[in-house]
Amino acid sequence: MTEAEFDALMADRAKRIVGDIAWLPDPQHAPALEFRKEVLSAAGPSIYVKGWYNPASCKLAYTLIHRETGRIYALNLGRGHRNPTGEQVGDRHKHRWTQQSRDKLAYVPSDITEPWSRPVEVWHQFCTEARIAHEGTMNAPALETEVTP
Amino acid sequence: MTPLELCATLRNGMPDLFECSPAPSGSVRVRTPMTLPDGDLVDVFMLEQDSGYVVTDFGDTLGWLRMQSPRSSLTQKQQAMVDDICLTLGVEQRNGQLQLHCTDVRHFPEAVLLLAQAAMRVASVWFTFPTFTAPLAEARARAGETTADQVEDWLRQQRQLSIRRKVKHAGGSGRQWEIDYEVSTDAQTSLVFLLTAGTRPKAQRVTEHVLTGCFDLRELRNSKTPLAFVSLFDDTRDVWREEDFNLMKGYSNIAFWSRRNEIPQILATPLSK
Repeated sequence: MTEAEFDALMADRAKRIVGDIAWLPDPQHAPALEFRKEVLSAAGPSIYVKGWYNPASCKLAYTLIHRETGRIYALNLGRGHRNPTGEQVGDRHKHRWTQQSRDKLAYVPSDITEPWSRPVEVWHQFCTEARIAHEGTMNAPALETEVTP
Repeated sequence: MTPLELCATLRNGMPDLFECSPAPSGSVRVRTPMTLPDGDLVDVFMLEQDSGYVVTDFGDTLGWLRMQSPRSSLTQKQQAMVDDICLTLGVEQRNGQLQLHCTDVRHFPEAVLLLAQAAMRVASVWFTFPTFTAPLAEARARAGETTADQVEDWLRQQRQLSIRRKVKHAGGSGRQWEIDYEVSTDAQTSLVFLLTAGTRPKAQRVTEHVLTGCFDLRELRNSKTPLAFVSLFDDTRDVWREEDFNLMKGYSNIAFWSRRNEIPQILATPLSK
């Protein structure tokens, strides 16, 4: 994917997700929940959004995945990051595709103000910056109160 | 040991680059300086369990892998890589988590380091994902995965296909031919020949070789249980010409890897006598 294609994709206001989002248990029974939904866009049937919520490790992630390119855009809460330049980016960061660095460059997004423990609120903020219209609702994930490795 | 005491114990045994802090439900988070392929830092957690302690990633590593591609699971080959990595490091896979058990406080720093190393290495299975977009040849060389592996992985993801790889059949000449894939659907069984090449001269030789094989094996198309022939062109490189496709059309159905969504229908297409 070229940067021009990525920029056009992110600028496309016609991107939308249809239907409610339900968090499902980790398929291997880790103490986490996840989901996957197709994103309808001008790029055709090639874009997905995935979510990862792990209250045991205090992590939340939303990623946009292009079928041929892989992850092109992602929000991470609760996980630190080191840019190729050596710059340390903290527990709230976004990855954004570039041709030179692929998805390895991250920055601190000013638009994400909710914490990892409020995934529905974070989702709304994520969709706003990514210009994704969600025609449905995200169900709040069932919280795990006991950490069982 | 309380989480704070555990933190203090770990700090005493580890460099300052490893940051310890209490985490939910009585565990301790150790933020390591190790990075995943995208630059994200590896966190491991430690908590008391039974008569000792367990070091775990709480499933974050395998979860990170699932978040990098549209797939929802690893292929058998990728899982075998994960299994081998864990075997080497003495790390257990349990409930989707990478784990190490430790009872001796003197070994806590080593356990944290081993678990972090396992997380890094398991995450590097990402380099075998088809979505890793380096130049295709570079990606294959780095990941050790061939087009044939990718095709096999893709075929195995398709519903209602039974696949055998590198199947041998005898031709009319008596020569044994190794077929890339034997794929069975409810409708029929097909012998799939994968044509892949990096240069034009190689493409010509490959086409002629597969054509010879199809000619020698032609009686299989008329046997009691007739087999269909499919020539699957790896057209991710611009080395093929119309003449190559025309040569193979006389002896097989034609499919293209760039249009793999058409392959299931081609595999179900009845034989043309």
